[in-house]
Amino acid sequence: MEVALALDHVTKRFGQHVAVNDLSLAIPKGSIYGFLGPNGAGKTTTIRMVMSIILPDEGKISVLGQNNPESVKDRLGYLPEEKGLYKKMMAAEILTYFGRLKGISASVAKKKSTDLLERYGLGEWTKKRCEALSKGMGQKVQILGTLMHDPELVILDEPFSGLDPVNVELVRNLILDMKREGRTVIFSTHVMEQAEQLCDFIFLIHKGNKVIDGPLSEVKSRGDHGVLVDYDGDGSVLRSVTGVKRLNDAGKTAEFFLEDGVEPQDILRQLVDKVTIRRFDLREPSLHEIFVRAVGGEVDESPK
Amino acid sequence: MTNNKIYLVARREYVENLRTKAFWIGIISVPIILALSMIVPIWLTEQKDARKYAVIDHSNWLMTEIEEQAFEPDLEKIMVQITNDLYKKENLDRYPEDVLATAEDYKKKLGTDDPEEAEKKIRDNIQALSKQKNESEAKAQQAIEKGEAPEKIDQYVLDQFDAFHKIMFAWWKTLEPEEAKKFGSGLKKSQFEPIEIKEGTTEEDLNAMLDEDKLFAYFVIGEDPIKGSDGCHYISNNLTDNDLSNWFGNIATRIVQKKRIENESIAPHIASKIRERLKFEGKKVGKSGKTEEVKAADTGRQWAPPAFVYLLWIAVFTSAQMLLTNTIEEKSNRIIEVLLSSVSPFQLMTGKIFGIGATGLTIITFWVLSFLGGIKIAPVVSGGIVSPPDFMAQIAGDPFFLASFLFYFLGGFLMYAAILVGFGSVCNSLKEAQNLMQPVFILLIVPLLAMIPITQDPNGTLAKFLSYVPFFTPFVMMNRAAGPPEVWEYVVTTLLIIGFTGFSFWAAAKVFRIGILMTGKPPKIKEIIRWIRAPIGTVPEVTDGK
Repeated sequence: MEVALALDHVTKRFGQHVAVNDLSLAIPKGSIYGFLGPNGAGKTTTIRMVMSIILPDEGKISVLGQNNPESVKDRLGYLPEEKGLYKKMMAAEILTYFGRLKGISASVAKKKSTDLLERYGLGEWTKKRCEALSKGMGQKVQILGTLMHDPELVILDEPFSGLDPVNVELVRNLILDMKREGRTVIFSTHVMEQAEQLCDFIFLIHKGNKVIDGPLSEVKSRGDHGVLVDYDGDGSVLRSVTGVKRLNDAGKTAEFFLEDGVEPQDILRQLVDKVTIRRFDLREPSLHEIFVRAVGGEVDESPK
Repeated sequence: MTNNKIYLVARREYVENLRTKAFWIGIISVPIILALSMIVPIWLTEQKDARKYAVIDHSNWLMTEIEEQAFEPDLEKIMVQITNDLYKKENLDRYPEDVLATAEDYKKKLGTDDPEEAEKKIRDNIQALSKQKNESEAKAQQAIEKGEAPEKIDQYVLDQFDAFHKIMFAWWKTLEPEEAKKFGSGLKKSQFEPIEIKEGTTEEDLNAMLDEDKLFAYFVIGEDPIKGSDGCHYISNNLTDNDLSNWFGNIATRIVQKKRIENESIAPHIASKIRERLKFEGKKVGKSGKTEEVKAADTGRQWAPPAFVYLLWIAVFTSAQMLLTNTIEEKSNRIIEVLLSSVSPFQLMTGKIFGIGATGLTIITFWVLSFLGGIKIAPVVSGGIVSPPDFMAQIAGDPFFLASFLFYFLGGFLMYAAILVGFGSVCNSLKEAQNLMQPVFILLIVPLLAMIPITQDPNGTLAKFLSYVPFFTPFVMMNRAAGPPEVWEYVVTTLLIIGFTGFSFWAAAKVFRIGILMTGKPPKIKEIIRWIRAPIGTVPEVTDGK
């Protein structure tokens, strides 16, 4: 397995606070790798260290086989968590600028910027100033900015934040396109569904420590299987169902984890009289379940 | 590659600045204000109606004499004007035929095709004429006493000039003030207009006219002005505008003085000798150790230093504003991290400084060029009234002088730009930035305060001391150029500036690296100093929320 990115016992402290603690990772080439974790877990710090925007206090980072991250900057694409564009510049212009900063020539950058904008449905915005773009379009322009120079490794920090479902779909397709083109993609999110749909591998970080790391299928099969129920009706009655170890109720969908010896049939029997069942499914645990269990339920929901 | 990235950042910064309204307002406003400040006063005096005045003359003779001489000072300008018009064959229809004919004759006698030389000759002739008038009597007497024939220098031209002068003056005296305005600004004829009053008009009558605004002012001349000022008054409702009373008073004084001299039986040539001012001609010690004439280049040396100090000051100030708004905009736009994934903080910072520096230099170059262009055009537009010295040649004549100015200018600019961008990077809003900048702006006031003392004593203790405080070196060394300082001082300060500018860049880069990624409250100066001292990569107790 060829490794695109390797972290070797990396630690980063901010004063007394340990942001990333003794982290080791190996990310295979051509994969989509999801960085998961609650807010403030250390995702962004890790990514910034990979981009050599900040430097680790201890440990080594090797990007695309290079130990000096500065030397591979031009082979990486990066979308930071905090996103922005120059308001007064035109969409094509800003893409050209980003491309040229990565070392491609003016003529190539110009052509590539219009090509990318056309290809992802932003052709009519080529000559419009960025202040006229909606948030979703702006975010798309920025993701395209990471692709201007055909990077081998693309790192997207929270690419889905603040997007409507149509744009989420678009960005998802964009990421899949990147994989198809043979690029390695790392993205961070705290929305488990997105990771579940896209990732080959996931990495879960909590309070600076690695909690889970591995192929998505493996991670999921390791967990308990549960019963997934789509329902209509009053969800409060679900709590009265017996033989259940844990319940994740999302309002219209609920996930039951059963006590030993309890059959899914028993649950179905109890539910039939209480709510209208639209789907009843026996399956691997959701990433959400894995996530919540891994961080011990203490998800930091405080605003950033 | 590295330089290429700095260039790309700088170029974007520059191009984006060119697109802002502030840039165009900045670049255009100063020349416009300068031009207006030149034109408006001239225009205002032209717009002003001639101030009407009346005179009650109890002496019964002084008024007549004043009327005779009142508008004589205008003649020099008018004669130059008409001769110029003759050379250019323009506007000739505004002169009466007899004036034109004598002017033509006189021009022929001048015997030159060069308008500038003609102008000089006219001025010489006017001087010669007034001298001759004063001395003619005395000279004749002296010559007769010595048994010689009276001296005649170019008498023929002078006579011709006298004829021209007389015909001009006759025409000029009767001209309406409105008409006189056509011949240029600043002419007494178009500013002041005497009003004829009837015999026996009383002060009460004139007071009434003052109140009705038919008069601007009136003069009362005492019975015996030769004896003293008893009974002389100036009555007006506007006592702040002194032009009329000054002008009138000067002529009256001159006439009265002449009469007094005559009364005391002092020969006019003796009187003029007595009244001659003692002139101290400005000279300087040249490189050879001998005294030399003061040349135009030396005057250039006098005014150039303060001009450059001001320019540097304005450059630092305007660019400070641009650097701050730009850095803070990039921070609040969150674009900074994208940039940092492609360029190093040092490249980003340097690119910004160069980009904004180029913007500032563009503005200042435009100002200087439009100023120089303006003073070339101004004499043409204003009809010879505004004629500043040709100092382009004066400055360009001394390459060392010019080179040192450029060096101190750029060095000073880069040094301050680095300091400002370092501070700017830790702030999240302009308000924060302005608070943090306070000490820098206070520092910047010092060279302005010290400007006059240093100009007066360019090699004094204050000047020498401030030359070695890096923050002030560029300003003070430019200011001292008229001295000039010794060569070793240039060498030491040059090294000092290079060193300190380098240090500023290094320190600013360290602060910038941490500052631009920081949100929240800006750090204290003490904390910033800790960042500068810490090795790259370690962030001592960053206040970053995450």
